[in-house]
Amino acid sequence: MSRLLSKDFLSGVMFIAFGLGALWFGRHLQMGTTVRMGPGYVPHMLAYIMLGLGLIIAVVALYSGGEQVEAPKWRPITMVTVGIIVFALLFETTGMFPSLVALVLIASLGGDEFKLTEVIGNIIVLTILCILVFKVGLQMNISVINGVW
Amino acid sequence: MDMLHNLAIGLGVAISLQNLLYAFVGCMVGTLIGVLPGIGPVATIAMLLPITFHLPPTAALIMLAGIYYGAQYGGSTTSILVNLPGEASSVVTCIDGYQMARRGRAGAALSISALGSFFAGTVGTLLIVMFAEPLTQMAQKFGPADYCSLMALGLVAAIVLANGSVLKAIAMVFLGLLFGLVGTDVNTGAQRFTFDIPELSDGIDFAPIAMGLFGIAEIVVNLEKKMTRSGAIKVSSLWPTREEARRAIPAAIRGTVLGSILGVLPGGGPTLGAFSSYTLEKKISKRPQEFGKGAVEGVAAPESANNAAAQTSFIPMLTLGIPSNAVMALMVGAMIIQGIQPGPEVMTKKPDLFWGMIVSMWIGNLMLVIINLPMIGMWVKLLTVPYRFLAPAILLFCAIGAYSLQNSTFHVEQVAIFGVLGYIFVRLGCEGAPFLLGLVLGPQMEEYFRRAMLLSRGDPMVFLQRPISLGLLIATSVLLILMALPSLRKAREEAFQEEG
Repeated sequence: MSRLLSKDFLSGVMFIAFGLGALWFGRHLQMGTTVRMGPGYVPHMLAYIMLGLGLIIAVVALYSGGEQVEAPKWRPITMVTVGIIVFALLFETTGMFPSLVALVLIASLGGDEFKLTEVIGNIIVLTILCILVFKVGLQMNISVINGVW
Repeated sequence: MDMLHNLAIGLGVAISLQNLLYAFVGCMVGTLIGVLPGIGPVATIAMLLPITFHLPPTAALIMLAGIYYGAQYGGSTTSILVNLPGEASSVVTCIDGYQMARRGRAGAALSISALGSFFAGTVGTLLIVMFAEPLTQMAQKFGPADYCSLMALGLVAAIVLANGSVLKAIAMVFLGLLFGLVGTDVNTGAQRFTFDIPELSDGIDFAPIAMGLFGIAEIVVNLEKKMTRSGAIKVSSLWPTREEARRAIPAAIRGTVLGSILGVLPGGGPTLGAFSSYTLEKKISKRPQEFGKGAVEGVAAPESANNAAAQTSFIPMLTLGIPSNAVMALMVGAMIIQGIQPGPEVMTKKPDLFWGMIVSMWIGNLMLVIINLPMIGMWVKLLTVPYRFLAPAILLFCAIGAYSLQNSTFHVEQVAIFGVLGYIFVRLGCEGAPFLLGLVLGPQMEEYFRRAMLLSRGDPMVFLQRPISLGLLIATSVLLILMALPSLRKAREEAFQEEG
């Protein structure tokens, strides 16, 4: 079991997956000839190379073992990703300030220390900074709170 | 004569108020991130890419360049004062720099490293000026097959210097090339891997990928680690003694030479320069026992080397359009965002941008000496800012920046997706840099490959028949074979172990 969880074996599997994905999603692309290559020639070529390399990496890892994958800590990656997605969903409907508050709050939950007063302070500083940099400095066309400013 | 004329053009551009301002901003940001551990120039430049979109091209590139070499200065400060390398390229400086600081010579170590860096930066800039024209002229003789082989060499060389498994690095290059294919095929107009998402028909934007892979993934990895910080050492007099200066000057010169050479090589850069020059100093020194206990040479040489390499790594990027490391790949991305296709035409078609950027690098180096030495106390204070304040701030800048690229939240979502992918890469020990190089070079490489095959009527031998292409391919295969040799593989692994 442990060999299946080595970094190298899993990388090999990942490369194979990308190769298969490229073959599947590129299946309708014309190959063309070597003189006049179609849009699918290079993608197919790369997909087969990916498959080959992935196989070699995975097989070598099965025989020689290798470094184990560290158990991932779920909180930081989840909170950071959720924070950005929420920001993306809120930004156009509510404006910069509400989405900023959401992102900073959620992302702060990803760290191992969370003090509400600190986070509020951070939000205030970042709001001022963002208005100065993006709105005043770079003159971007974004609203701070939608419909208000 | 020509050289002076070019420098005059560059000086005219570089000393405009706007460009001076952006050089200053770049140097400040560079120093800042150099001082702060856990965020490097690659992540920073990736995150600032969207902002450069709102600036004029020259100002944008001047600022990004400033961040890159500014980080080399800033990184040394924390290495010396708190034994914490702000940058990978300053890891060796810790060894002797911190020891010097503990013996009460912190000020001397700081000024030696700043002045050595300045000297190296000046030499590096002069080298760019000298080599730019001949290399550009050479590049203009290249046919499609030659270009394709040149890119292959660049990519393979980047692999040699990637950390960890060679096979995985090669696979990452191909994965990058594959991602580079997304979008409309230039020759036929066919949609490739666009999944009917209209935003993808122009290709995946470079900035969200870079931000996700380097910015977001780096933040997440840092959030997982607990960061501990130690107190900084007080700085006394900045002046080195006569004896220290006598030993530092030749070391700085040797470091500059070695760093300049290693910077030009594909895959090279500041980190490699710093490590090699430290090893060199230790080997040729009459007092090798002093290394590790605060030898002046151990600060002067690597600090000069990393800055020299940071400068000269611009040479292949500016003249041939071939990035030699991840930062240069990002610079290529920044140029493409601005609508400039990097390559030999940049110098002839946009001389003001080309020479302006080069001269501003020298001005930036001068600014850095001023920013760094008298203001050292302020930078050290910044070290006490906890990471839990920085992480949300960086994320926020990423998100707003990604949105501002095309006023589309789709770009923000892409940042999140590539952040997850980047995190997977880190966990699996797959290097992001080869991926980025493949991604940047992918579209061009396919174009040159198809054009070369069309010209040769489908005969792949064209890559071996053209002398330039053949030479480049031989160099590529020699590199690949060398990597497979057991003795060299061992040496390579040892080199990286020392680094990590």
